[in-house]
Amino acid sequence: MIEFRQTTKRFGDHVVLRPVELSVKSGEVAVIIGPSGSGKSTMLRCVNALEKISGGDLLVNELSVLGSSADIRQIRRQAGMVFQQFNLFPNLTALQNVMFGPIRAKKYSKSEAKEIAKALLGKVGLFERKNHYPSQLSGGQQQRVAIARALAVQPRLMLFDEPTSALDPELRQEVMKVMQTLAMEGMTMMVVTHEMHFARQVGSRLIFMENGRVVHDGEPAALLSSPPSERFHNFLQHVQ
Amino acid sequence: MNLDWSVLISAFPDLMQGLQVTLLIAISGLAGGIVSGVVAGVALEYGGRISNVLAHIYVALIRGTPIVVQVMFIFFALPLIAGIRISSIDAAIITIIINSGAYNAEIIRGALNSVPGGIQEAGLAMGLSFPAVLAHIIAPLAFRRSLPAMGNQLVNVVKDTSIFIVIGVGELTRRGQEVMAENFRSVEVWSEVAAIYFVVISAFTLGLRVLERRMRLP
Repeated sequence: MIEFRQTTKRFGDHVVLRPVELSVKSGEVAVIIGPSGSGKSTMLRCVNALEKISGGDLLVNELSVLGSSADIRQIRRQAGMVFQQFNLFPNLTALQNVMFGPIRAKKYSKSEAKEIAKALLGKVGLFERKNHYPSQLSGGQQQRVAIARALAVQPRLMLFDEPTSALDPELRQEVMKVMQTLAMEGMTMMVVTHEMHFARQVGSRLIFMENGRVVHDGEPAALLSSPPSERFHNFLQHVQ
Repeated sequence: MNLDWSVLISAFPDLMQGLQVTLLIAISGLAGGIVSGVVAGVALEYGGRISNVLAHIYVALIRGTPIVVQVMFIFFALPLIAGIRISSIDAAIITIIINSGAYNAEIIRGALNSVPGGIQEAGLAMGLSFPAVLAHIIAPLAFRRSLPAMGNQLVNVVKDTSIFIVIGVGELTRRGQEVMAENFRSVEVWSEVAAIYFVVISAFTLGLRVLERRMRLP
């Protein structure tokens, strides 16, 4: 479903992704971990072309991120994204935030969009809060609305860029529960996170990055119980 | 000094005629200035190289010269260069549109720039084109953020219309001068002219306050 083919990314002289070769299949939950600056967020943002790749290729459902702008919009509709800072539209209520994508990106009617949005807000447990503005919601609630908003365009995969990093520890749980439900329903997911519990319990794959390279890639339980490298072992000590 | 306040009443009809012209120029200037300001502001913030440079030149030229010189140029010099004659009222309207547009452009550029990049990305990540993101996500937020500064600028437009006395447009200030030339009652007439400006601008400011409050986000 997602194929990195010798993908590279540079910002000027700074190399962020060295040739990355990676493929994520339908239904997989790939959890990406690594020290800050290792290129994990950049890698994720290349998938929906928020960052333009510098070399190689990257295919999402057989469409290249190097394709036409219509192709890129198609990729983005198939890949929902959840941001660290939520990025909800502050001038819209929770319901309007979730309705936005169906109306503007999918050209659904207002009433269709409303039905979709209500169902999704129910799914993330925020139906009661549908008429609240983002500023009237807690961080955890905002992030759940953001997940509902991303799901509203009916994506085939979901990209999570440190979705719980901006949240207090007690609010992280509610967001991770929603993500876990999604994973159990078979959604293909790429998740950049520091939550090792999530990696172990929900991840079907664990990818450890350092210096723009995929250093380890395997089954989470196996990697976490017997770290294959000193570096990885040290990293785990620091995040746990 | 003896004051004759009955002048206030006798001068009133003339001054109201002047106010009509003032409002005509001001409202055309506001509307046109917003359009030219949005076009130039978008060019400054998102334009390609050429449109960006053109917008910068426009803003620099207008902000770098006095409005009196601008209207003199349009009214007296342009006919000689381009061979077109325009009425003084048209010259006033064109000047105020061009002039306020340049100031509005900087305000709009700043407002567009203040919308967090992450919010733009959220729109792009849903598969919207950039123009759609600009129209449906950035514009409503930028509009709110531009209101206080725009309000200030729009009040200036109303006051700037008095400058067009220099090309003989029969607006409020000009009418005041004409009335005074007949009755020599400068204290009464200029008090009345000032009061009329003050009432109009206060009403305008109040309207903007209400709009700002209504648009305020929770």
